[in-house]
Amino acid sequence: MTNVTIRVQRFNPDVDQKPHLDEFQIELTQGKTILDALHEIKEEQDGSVTFRRSCRHAICGSCAMNVNGVNMLVCDAPLKDFVDRRGRVTIRPLPYLPIIKDLVVDRTSFWEQYQRVKPWLLPPDDVPEKEFRMSPDEVKALQDAEHCIMCGACYSACQVVAMSKKYIGPHALLKAFLRVLDPRDSAPGERLTDLDQGDGVFRCHTIFNCIDACPKHLNPTQAIETLRKLVMKRQAFEAARAQRQQSLDQPISVE
Amino acid sequence: MSQSSDITHDVLVVGAGLAGTWAAMIASQAGVTDVAILSKLHPLRSHSGAAQGGIAAALNNVRPINPNEKRGDLEPIPPGDDPIDSWELHMKDTIKGSAWLGDQNAIKIMVQDAIDIVYTYEHMGCVFSRTPDGRINQRRFGGHSVPRANFAADWTGHVLLHTVYEQACKQGVKFYSEWYALDLIVEDNVCKGLVAIDITTGELHLMRAKAVMFGTGGYGRAWRITSNATANTGDGVALAYNAGVPLMDMEFVQFHPTGLYRHGILMSEACRGEGGYLVNNSGDRFMEDYAPDRMELAPRDIVSRSEQTEIDEGRGVEADGQGIHLDMRHLGHERILERLPQVREIALKFAGVDIIDHPAPIQPTAHYSMGGIPADVNGQVIRDADGTPVTGFYAAGECACISVHGANRLGTNSLLGASVFGRRAGYAIAEFIQGGAQLQPIQGNPLERNRQRIARFKSDPANGKTESWAAVARELKDTMTTNVGIFRNETRLRKALDDIKRLQEHFGQVRVMDKSARFNTDILGALETKHLLTFSEVIAASALARTESRGAHSRTDHDAPDNGNWLKHTLAHPNDDDGPTLSYKAVDIDWDNHPPEVRKY
Ligand SMILES: Cc1cc2nc3c(=O)[nH]c(=O)nc-3n(C[C@H](O)[C@H](O)[C@H](O)COP(=O)(O)OP(=O)(O)OC[C@H]3O[C@@H](n4cnc5c(N)ncnc54)[C@H](O)[C@@H]3O)c2cc1C
Ligand code: FES
Repeated sequence: MTNVTIRVQRFNPDVDQKPHLDEFQIELTQGKTILDALHEIKEEQDGSVTFRRSCRHAICGSCAMNVNGVNMLVCDAPLKDFVDRRGRVTIRPLPYLPIIKDLVVDRTSFWEQYQRVKPWLLPPDDVPEKEFRMSPDEVKALQDAEHCIMCGACYSACQVVAMSKKYIGPHALLKAFLRVLDPRDSAPGERLTDLDQGDGVFRCHTIFNCIDACPKHLNPTQAIETLRKLVMKRQAFEAARAQRQQSLDQPISVE
Repeated sequence: MSQSSDITHDVLVVGAGLAGTWAAMIASQAGVTDVAILSKLHPLRSHSGAAQGGIAAALNNVRPINPNEKRGDLEPIPPGDDPIDSWELHMKDTIKGSAWLGDQNAIKIMVQDAIDIVYTYEHMGCVFSRTPDGRINQRRFGGHSVPRANFAADWTGHVLLHTVYEQACKQGVKFYSEWYALDLIVEDNVCKGLVAIDITTGELHLMRAKAVMFGTGGYGRAWRITSNATANTGDGVALAYNAGVPLMDMEFVQFHPTGLYRHGILMSEACRGEGGYLVNNSGDRFMEDYAPDRMELAPRDIVSRSEQTEIDEGRGVEADGQGIHLDMRHLGHERILERLPQVREIALKFAGVDIIDHPAPIQPTAHYSMGGIPADVNGQVIRDADGTPVTGFYAAGECACISVHGANRLGTNSLLGASVFGRRAGYAIAEFIQGGAQLQPIQGNPLERNRQRIARFKSDPANGKTESWAAVARELKDTMTTNVGIFRNETRLRKALDDIKRLQEHFGQVRVMDKSARFNTDILGALETKHLLTFSEVIAASALARTESRGAHSRTDHDAPDNGNWLKHTLAHPNDDDGPTLSYKAVDIDWDNHPPEVRKY
């Protein structure tokens, strides 16, 4: 069996001046993920190595880290795919965020932006007895945004975020997209007005880092593009929404 | 731990999954202003978000095209046509699924509330998959006689969790994110608060509340192969038990038939709901021999036992013969991408198998805990067979035993149960607070007690010998897997109890390497391992006493249900010296309408 050197960035702000890398030897076996390797290190070599994780299958969003310079979820990353030519894998915390300890970052600004876009639906006052009717196509348009697991990989890969934590960020803009595009939402106009502020959709430099970083293959840039267009024709969009909401309790006509 | 200060709230909820978040949101909506949730994970990381397949409710949106086919395609029910489903039928299926151990009064409430709770989720913004005419789409699920699993692709739990969290934020509920509860304070049968660590700083806090509610989730981490998140260590049940509260029906642990081979990660039951086959090493659909009518869509306990029998008799797949094949190739490319995108990713990433072209290797995986903290239909925790309440203490979701799932839960009924009873607990708590509940003075010094507990993990051991919590946990998982798994018997269960006793002694030597205060997950690992040991002993002891086979509890030495002696709930009461003392509680049964029958599928 071959061994791999796992290099883990260590930093405890209470005692360390600056971060450093620790090296651990791990056996490379079939099916082992990077998260498995971190668990092995923690459980068998150094109990103080600190990282977040929970679900183990890329749905809870806990384990986003930076591996060999790329943001990803480590729980579904096969170890063997990330061994460099020198037999090493280098794991660092998500960049551009304050480090709490080792691989654990402080996502405060990330969550503040999430709250800022008011992630909750604002439904019409009249709620039907049963479900609001939505067509499969309307649902499909939301599918990407709905699937976002808020791991922060895109946020910490974004050059604009790196420069200013005031920028809403790709994750929260994707969430805003989810609400703006949802036919059940009654406040798309207000939302678009807010996104039109200096730190909103027009701050995006379209560098596409967020797309590369997203472990779920989502496309925040495209969502931001769409929002920009809607900001430009906000009133027409609001009117169309008001119109659509007239028939939310009616069956979708099937041709 | 450095410093401390008391924190007080009217209501303190532990756990930000569906159960806890519903309770907090509702209590707040009902007018209680000071409601807080603490969660060891960020709320959106809670395991509810991992649920894939769906949430059950008799909405009557779809029906089989051919009414006689148990597995064929579905179509929307045209307006005006007769409904095929009802809460009565949902109730009947759930009772049978529970092997008649579910309390029928509670089941009735759950299935009746189901319809409203699913519509409420929809109104709150949950993006469900749709039928062509715009209704919530439904699929088949095991043990349900009609399609009633309402779904959002195969990430249903994810959208439900996000939706309810968003609403709780909107409602102004306060969240303590990444705070870990490690001690529950119950004195004179009154719950007064708890002790928690702020994980980020490592500070210990005494948190006092007029009402405490647990929605701390399940405890599959006591087994080697499990679908459960690493956070599912049963902290809540262990905390309650340590505080003197009994645990109910802990012997009933569900093994899901389709965990990914060697990983245990879930391949949703939706795979079979959508029409997937289970085959052995000769390519036979072996379910024909075990449940000829429902086949792959028999309830989970039956399918998992069938798989294990195939494996034990040498008909498994993979090099070690410990796997079974889940074959979905005939569903076709399009259907798989539309309905099972997440499952496909999982098989690709972890097993290197594309389910569009190849069968996926799977095996039974520890999945769901039917037992837990005994509570009534309002989430009020009770302490004995008479239903004596523990004042100010509530529980719902997977950590609770209400008991709607009895000896075996049906798929899609647990997102439902967590939501329905979380919501009901919210209302009950609001009533309790508004009825004049007060903060109660605490007699002991729980903060100091827990400071010492933590300090001991960091100290040097008297004799220089130390154990690692990880090694203890590993051994525990080995014995639980071998001896308290799908098939049990007296010898194995006694062996497990001996092992657990020994491991509990070893645990005294456990020390951590991380001596720092900040974000110390080494300490959390030690605390969680202790919790695993605590409830595993209860599981093994309850299983040993129950000399029958019922639902998920299957004894090779007592291989049939024994309604005469065992149609009753186990209550395991803590007893400092030698493990739990067991007592029993009657099951709520409507003898006229739903008497026990032979359970055949
Ligand atoms: C992979 C998978 C798929 C599933 N699919 C389905 C499905 O399709 N349909 C269905 O009905 N059911 C499904 N289930 C079951 C269902 O998801 C769970 O039973 C349900 O979500 C549990 O919800 P809960 O609110 O009780 O707990 P959870 O969502 O697990 O939340 C527990 C909460 O408690 C917190 N917590 C725990 N201990 C502590 C502590 N010591 N201190 C502070 N906080 C603590 C956690 O941080 C978390 O917030 C599935 C389960 C799994 C494992
Ligand atoms: S552990 Fe949940 S996303 Fe990786």
